[in-house]
Amino acid sequence: MKDTSLIQRKDGRVWNTSIVTMLIVYLCIPVAGTLAYSLCQEWQGTILPKGFTLKWYAEIFSDTRFLEAMGRSLLVSTITVVISLLIMIPTIFIIVLYYPKLERTLQILVLLPFAFPGVVAAVGLIKVYSSGPLAISGTIWILIGAYFIVVLPYVYQSTRNSLRTINAKDLMDAAEVLGASKVSAFHSVIVPNILPGVLTASLLSFSTILGEFVLANILVGGSYETIQIYLLSMMRVSGHSASAIILIFFVLVFVLSAIILKLGSWNSRTNVSKGKPKEEDR
Amino acid sequence: MSYVRIDNVSKKYNDLAVLKNVSLSIKEGEFITLLGPSGCGKSTLLRAIAGLNDIDTGSIHVGDKDITYLYPKDREVGMVFQSYALFPNMNVYNNIAFGLKMEGMKKEHYTPLVEEMIELIDLQGKGNRFPHELSGGQQQRVALGRALVKRPKILLLDEPLSALDAKIRRTLRNEIRKIQQRLKMTTIFVTHDQEEALTISDRIFVMNHGTIEQVGAPEEIYTSPKTEYVARFIGNYNVFSHSEILEAGMSVIPQGELFAVRPEAIVIALDNHTKDYTEATFMTGMGWVNQVSVLGNVIRFDVDVNGLKLTIDALHDTEIHKIKENSKVAVAIPLTECKPLNHRD
Repeated sequence: MKDTSLIQRKDGRVWNTSIVTMLIVYLCIPVAGTLAYSLCQEWQGTILPKGFTLKWYAEIFSDTRFLEAMGRSLLVSTITVVISLLIMIPTIFIIVLYYPKLERTLQILVLLPFAFPGVVAAVGLIKVYSSGPLAISGTIWILIGAYFIVVLPYVYQSTRNSLRTINAKDLMDAAEVLGASKVSAFHSVIVPNILPGVLTASLLSFSTILGEFVLANILVGGSYETIQIYLLSMMRVSGHSASAIILIFFVLVFVLSAIILKLGSWNSRTNVSKGKPKEEDR
Repeated sequence: MSYVRIDNVSKKYNDLAVLKNVSLSIKEGEFITLLGPSGCGKSTLLRAIAGLNDIDTGSIHVGDKDITYLYPKDREVGMVFQSYALFPNMNVYNNIAFGLKMEGMKKEHYTPLVEEMIELIDLQGKGNRFPHELSGGQQQRVALGRALVKRPKILLLDEPLSALDAKIRRTLRNEIRKIQQRLKMTTIFVTHDQEEALTISDRIFVMNHGTIEQVGAPEEIYTSPKTEYVARFIGNYNVFSHSEILEAGMSVIPQGELFAVRPEAIVIALDNHTKDYTEATFMTGMGWVNQVSVLGNVIRFDVDVNGLKLTIDALHDTEIHKIKENSKVAVAIPLTECKPLNHRD
């Protein structure tokens, strides 16, 4: 009995490892291929690439168009995330704590981006904003506006969960009874405690915007070239350069994700309070 | 001399009245308990005193000051919550110092106060710990210290012990009482646990459906409930009406309509051992035991006396141990223990 179960367990482990390995290989092959392509001089008509070179990377980093596009992407992501946090955190806080009846409405609003595919949203936005009093089509502002909506679900979900986890209502009550005004209670007690969750959301939003193509292409296209639009145009010029760009982008997102994971584990470590040490009062 | 005065406070949530013209007054340094089941309005009243809930009508005075319309921060009250509500981003020291900092007090002024408080709540050397590194009992002591360090005019305790396990609950209960007496702090304690209320308070306010049903010292509330509700809530009182005793064929029928008798006040004995109970001071009857359960230091008997169901508690002894389920027993209720009640709920 014991032996067979041991064997079964061993079998299970072998299965697990092999499936995970296959998955990792499957996911890594395209990246490895792209990496190889970005590092070789030529890969045509042969099975293996020919000649190792860093010239594609050197070319890209000396291309001001690339640096500008990267700069624009980072700028638009940063502005969007900052604006989104500044507006949405207080809003979500007020609704969750003081107008819980409105939460349903907020949830529906926040889920809207999922209901509209990027193309549909973009066409509508262009129609509205290409003329009239607010003709911001083709500028960074329309992009920021659209991205604000794209990242809403991330910001909403993480802020609300953080508020729930820390029991924000009781903390506010406690701070107020201790002599804090609502505003000072919010920034000295609520903000520091939801910060880890909010940071995770911002990084998630940040990398989502960095990788966004559909809205950027339709809304601003060449007039405000982001990294994704630049990538598309480079793919027509040289596959090697495009591969190099993809790799650079990949590394950037990888670093961001690592930070997210790091923050996530730090967050859960500070919130283990529920299963805390045993009572040791006498 | 009343120190806290609450006059005719009412509050409605959507059409549901949670507080109905509640009035009460508390002396300085007194420890009072608002006791009642959940939904009786006790927490709403407490939060109204703290300013965390507004009220529809009525007024609240502390000392000579009308605090009815003040912000929570200006009311000079301290409050402890069931969920502790410690600030997770601050250590014990900073949690306790928070209220003083909010007052704009300088570090050199509040440091000694905070240290003194850490000593009072018996957490020396734990000032640098964060809330999640403390046990529940310790966290609640920090919350108590945080509320007391500002020397509030009243201390409000909102079921502070409910989240703790039984043993810690008892020690912390005694500690709260000790600290309260040392500081002569006027305290309002909210609980649904009658044992807690009886052991800790100077006076108990029993609440029911948004009104105060009875006020009194613990022994008074326990021994002389005025209504059926209080009788049932405070102990396992037997409540019966005049006609029920009549039907049961008891030897003497006292004056009144509705009565309450504590289960431990009733004498129970096997059939042939009842001669000692004279009819002048006891009402006696015969019945059968339905159930015997050992509760620990007492044995509880459920007895049926011709349809009158009685719960009787007795201490262990050899005579009592002879009484089994389905035994025929004699019961004797001292007439002095038959507390007449106002009305039936």
